Order: sequence, then structure tokens, then C-alpha cells
Amino acid sequence: MKKPLHKHIGYQARKMHGHFTKYLYERDTIFATIWVFLFIIILGSIPLNLGSLNPIKLGLKDLDMNDMSYSKLGKAQNTPIDTSNIVVINIGQADREGIAAIINKTASFKPKVMGLDVIFNGPRDAAKDSLLREAIQRNKNLVVAVKIETDSSDKLIPTENFFLNNSSYYGYVNFPNDDKETVRYYFPFKKDDHDKQIVLPSFSSSLVKLYDTTAYNKIKKKADSKVIVNYTRNVTERKKQYLVIEGEDLLMDNIDSSAINGRIALLAYVNLSPNDIEDKKFTPMNEKFAGKSHPDMNGIFVHANIISMVLEKNYVKKLPSWVNWLISVLVCWLFMSFFIRYYLESHIWFHLVAKIIQVASAILFVWLGIHLFDRYRLKVDMKMSLLVIIMAVDVIYFYEAWAVWMHKKFNYKTVFKPHHH
Amino acid sequence: MKKLQLFTLLFSLTLAASAQNNFLLYSFKGNVSVVENNVESKAKVGKPLASTATVKVAAGGAVTLICNEAAMFTFTKAGTYALNKFGDSCRVSSSSVSANYVKYVWASMTKPTGSAGSNRKAYMNTVGAVSRSINNIWIDPRLDTLNYPGGGPEFPLSWKSYSDAKDFDFSLYSSDNISTAIHSTSVNKLKIPIGDIANKMKQGNSYFWTASVKGEENDELKIINYVTKETYAAVLDAIKKQGAAFEAPAEQAYRIGFMLEDAHYLSEAYTYYTKAATLDTANALYRSTLMSFKKDYEIK
Repeated sequence: MKKPLHKHIGYQARKMHGHFTKYLYERDTIFATIWVFLFIIILGSIPLNLGSLNPIKLGLKDLDMNDMSYSKLGKAQNTPIDTSNIVVINIGQADREGIAAIINKTASFKPKVMGLDVIFNGPRDAAKDSLLREAIQRNKNLVVAVKIETDSSDKLIPTENFFLNNSSYYGYVNFPNDDKETVRYYFPFKKDDHDKQIVLPSFSSSLVKLYDTTAYNKIKKKADSKVIVNYTRNVTERKKQYLVIEGEDLLMDNIDSSAINGRIALLAYVNLSPNDIEDKKFTPMNEKFAGKSHPDMNGIFVHANIISMVLEKNYVKKLPSWVNWLISVLVCWLFMSFFIRYYLESHIWFHLVAKIIQVASAILFVWLGIHLFDRYRLKVDMKMSLLVIIMAVDVIYFYEAWAVWMHKKFNYKTVFKPHHH
Repeated sequence: MKKLQLFTLLFSLTLAASAQNNFLLYSFKGNVSVVENNVESKAKVGKPLASTATVKVAAGGAVTLICNEAAMFTFTKAGTYALNKFGDSCRVSSSSVSANYVKYVWASMTKPTGSAGSNRKAYMNTVGAVSRSINNIWIDPRLDTLNYPGGGPEFPLSWKSYSDAKDFDFSLYSSDNISTAIHSTSVNKLKIPIGDIANKMKQGNSYFWTASVKGEENDELKIINYVTKETYAAVLDAIKKQGAAFEAPAEQAYRIGFMLEDAHYLSEAYTYYTKAATLDTANALYRSTLMSFKKDYEIK
């Protein structure tokens, strides 16, 4: 009589369970696992930067597998356009006089707060400078952009805004990465290293302060800590998730007042052409998640995404490093048990099975990381888990030799026999 | 119990049927107006519109709308559009990230990456030059330079129009005088066969050509090199010599077509792509390349 399907499945599951757990509590499995981590620590402690000669390491330096969820898997594709909090006004190539006109016109629609994401690093035409200074001074709800730097006495100072005065609200627009790297983090506030009383706000924090006190109080608690940016919206030729108003349309009264009234109006340079990379950043939303590419997002949309994240309180949580290590230890232990079973009992299949398991676990762990990130906004670093699975196969050979030597020398009890293969 | 379930189902269906789509006027250009409650007003960016509204687009205008805060679509042709007829455009795909991951991994593992020789678009998509000014005509950068030895199959000089214009001006200039056209004609198609202007040119000389909406100007000039038969024969001979020792006739025709296209002998490349597809009718690459070539250059 044929076995029923459920019994067949149950039998196979028990068999697979046996493959994984048969050697789980063996001393060899535990010591081999320890050796994997010893190797990782020893290799990681070599004080030479061998990565500069390693094209794979250089190429993948900025890689985060979660980025794939934006470029290939449709994450954030269906995020609704922000119709209540943020509107972006494109200043285009307007000069200082033009920017002053755009500020005043925007103000006439009564936004709750305005942000001008432009750096002015010195005087230009005196008359135009006067117009812009007057516009900045007149609009008390305007936040201007600065950069933070340290002066000669190592003190944190706001710079590069010629129009900054004592009554202006300001926020820094620098991000804690270089221009060639993906913007993944930002500091909501930056404290001076020496004088803790000096705390400078980021551009987005200053805007949120004027817009939503509750959200501001929450972000204030993250002072001086690196916060992961949760990208949820983008503006491209095909996708419009923030309302962008052209400066010309604004000045020609082609705007519905409800589009600006009571909102955060962000005034900045926007250009959707991929060939124009002025003030564009690399973000996880880039169409290419690995390899050479163009910067993909205008800086103002990075700020807009940060503001949306703070207002909607959908921060990304990051699993602590010790949890990532713990997961990798458990994964290594389990897979080591599995590999040892094949190594000892079905050695002819060992390499084939090990390679299949490595590929399958790479696919599985990448999915797990993406799933947790997408569903629970939880960032789990599965790189270590993948690394230990890859290393486990090689470490078994070393461990076998070590265990046999220990057996001969100290009568160390091991499941490995001399000249096993 | 069954009655309750039926009632719930009917109620849900009624709710779904009566759900109204909401629109947001995202951007517009030209003359666009909105009719709401029988009142016509000028379109304004950021204006929310109910599905009962109607959008009127004048000639040369365009308007982009966002439906239910997610789906974007654009009207580029003149006309009157009742928004309640665009419910289909409001749909957005909603497959999960996990499902897409499985599809992506499977596709990546099973789809061959291909090579430059089997993908003429990937190989040649850097062809082109900078362009200046904005006008209503777009000429594919692939046509930036055309080497034409005369004869051969009918090959069109084509362009695309951003406006609803029906008539276009075509102008041909000699290389030493771009202020006065040596030949001008009006056409009502978005292309002109090169054979129609061949008798206006002399072999061995270079010419510029452009197309514009009738009555407008287009500063974007493209080049035709009307090469001599000898020049073309030398190029073809050089290409033929580069073949492998044992090259099948279809393979040779495909390779020559590919290299001629790269050398801007487009009319002749068409001849060889056709030849390759005819010699080996079972070869999907030859067939698809020919189809793609015809589509790119508006060959009917």
C-alpha cells in the first residue's frame, strides 16, 4: 500500500531534521564553529588594508542587499504622493533676485514653514543680494541651509550661508558620507566634540521643529546619533511621490493655493534629467544597486524623505551588532553540524551539497533581510551569517587535521578519523 | 447565515462600485482648463479633482494627473477628457516584495546575459551628440550621421513630433551653406524616403538635413554623407575580410549588417539584416534584430 502524502512529507522532514541535528551537540561541531569565528577575528585583525587590491571588495564597498528591494522588487513603488505635508518648489536656475521673488511668492500662499536648500557662499550682485536678504529677513518661518564645519579652534560652526543672521532659522545640509557613497544615514543634530552646549540642527530637524512639535520631540531624543534614512518616496520621470511646483508656474499664479497652504514648502533645485547630476546624491533608490551608476536623487528629495520619516514616525530599526553576531553563531553551529554529517557519512556528495547549500542560503538570507526590512522596517545584517556558511566548508578541513593531531597528542575525542579521505 | 454572507458580499460590491477615484492635477503645459460642476476654470497645479471633473487640453498642451495618490498618467493630445472614464488608469500593481524577489532571482538565474553582438541596442546606445535648444521635433541620435552610397532599399529619414502637427518641413543643406536650403519640401508623415532627395545631392559630398513642424524652425542638423560607390565598396570589403574562417552565409550577413550599422551605413545594414533573416529563418536573433531595426528607423 502506498504511503499517504502527509506521512511521506513528515518522513522527509524528519530525515532532513536528522541531517541538521545528528552532530549538533558533538564537541567537534562546537569547536569547529569556534574555529570559524577565530578565523574571522584573526583575518579581520591583520593590520593591512588588503581590500585596495581586491576588486570585489572595492566594487561591493557600498553594497547593501536591501537596496535591491527598491530597484528590482518594487518597494516604495506604491507609496502615495504626499498631499498633506511637503511640497517642493523648483527654483531652477534662478539667480538671487529670482530666488527672492520665489520665496516671497511662496510665502504669499501661507505655508507653515519654508526651507531654502541653497548654499550662498559670499556676496554677488549687491542689489540682488539686498533683495534676497530682505526676503529672508521678512519671512520668519524660513529655514536656510548651512554646512557644518569645524573652525581653527575645532569648534563646530555653521558656514557657507552669506545671508545667515542671528534671527534666521538654519539647518545643516551635509550628510555623513562622501559624494560617491550612498546616503543611508544622517545626524538629526550634531554636538560639538568639546563643548556639549553647542548643538546644531540638521535642515530637516529645523523644519520639523517649526512644523510638528510632537515629531520634533521624538527626533530630538536621537541627538547626535546616526539615524538610518527610510526612503519611501521619489520623484522621477515615471513616478511622482512629492508634488513639485516649477518656479515659473508659481510666479505666474498657476498654482492651487491648497498645494502650499499650511505645508512645508521646500525651495530647491530639481532636475529630473539623469544627465544633470547637480546636487544629486546616490540613494538606495538608485536603479542600479551595485556597480557604477549616476547619482539618482536631488538632495532636496533626500531631505524630504527624512522629513516624511520623522513626521510619519516610520524610522528604520537596526538590530544591534551583538544580535547579528548571535544569529551568525547559531547559523554557523547549525550548518556546521549539517556539513560534518555529509563530510563523514556521505563524503562523495559533500562538496556538491555544500555548494548548493551555500547558494540556497545566500538566496534565503538575502530574502530574509529584505523581508524584515520591507515588512517590519528592521535592518538585519545577514552578511556575517553568509560569511560563516562560506567559511565553514573550508574550516572543516582545517579542523579535521587539528582534531586528529589533538587526538594523537592529547587523546582528544573526535568523530574525525586519521586520513579520513 | 448564508443570507448574512450574501448581504455582506453585495454590500461590499456596492461599496467598491461606488468608490470614487480622486485625482490630483500634478502639472500642465499650454492651455489646459478644468470643468467642475459645469464651471470651467483655468488648470492649476496641485488642484484636487473629483472623478466627475472634465479636463480640456488645447492643441500643444499636456496635463499630468495622479489618481488616488498613486497612479500617474498624462494627456498629451488636444481634447476633452471626462475623468470618470479613466478608472483603469488608476490601477497600480500590488505584488509583494517577496513575490518579486522570487521572480527576480528566478529570472536572473535562468536568463542568459547575452553579449554585445546579440544586442545591438546595448552595444550602440552611446551613439549621439549633444543637442541644443528645445523644439517640437526629436530626431533619433542614431541618425546623427548617415553614410549613403545611393541605391539599395528604401530607407527613411525619420523624426518624432511632440506636438499634434500634421505637416512638417524637411530641408536639405549643403555642408558649406547652412543658411539657405538647397531643397525644401513639406510632408505629412514623420519621415521622408532618402531616395526622394538623392537626386538633389552629388556623390562624394556631405549635406545637412533637418525637419521641423510646419512654420517652425529646428536648428538641429543631421549629416548625410553621400559617399561614392568606391568608398562604400572599400568599407564593405574591409568588413568582409574580418570574418571567421568558417562563417555561414547567414552569420556573415548578420555580422556585416551589424558592422555596417555601426559604421552608419544604415540603408545597407538593412539589406544585410534582411539577408541574414532570410537565409536562416529559424534564427530568432536575426529575426528579432531585423524587426527591431525596422522599428527603430521607421521602416515599414
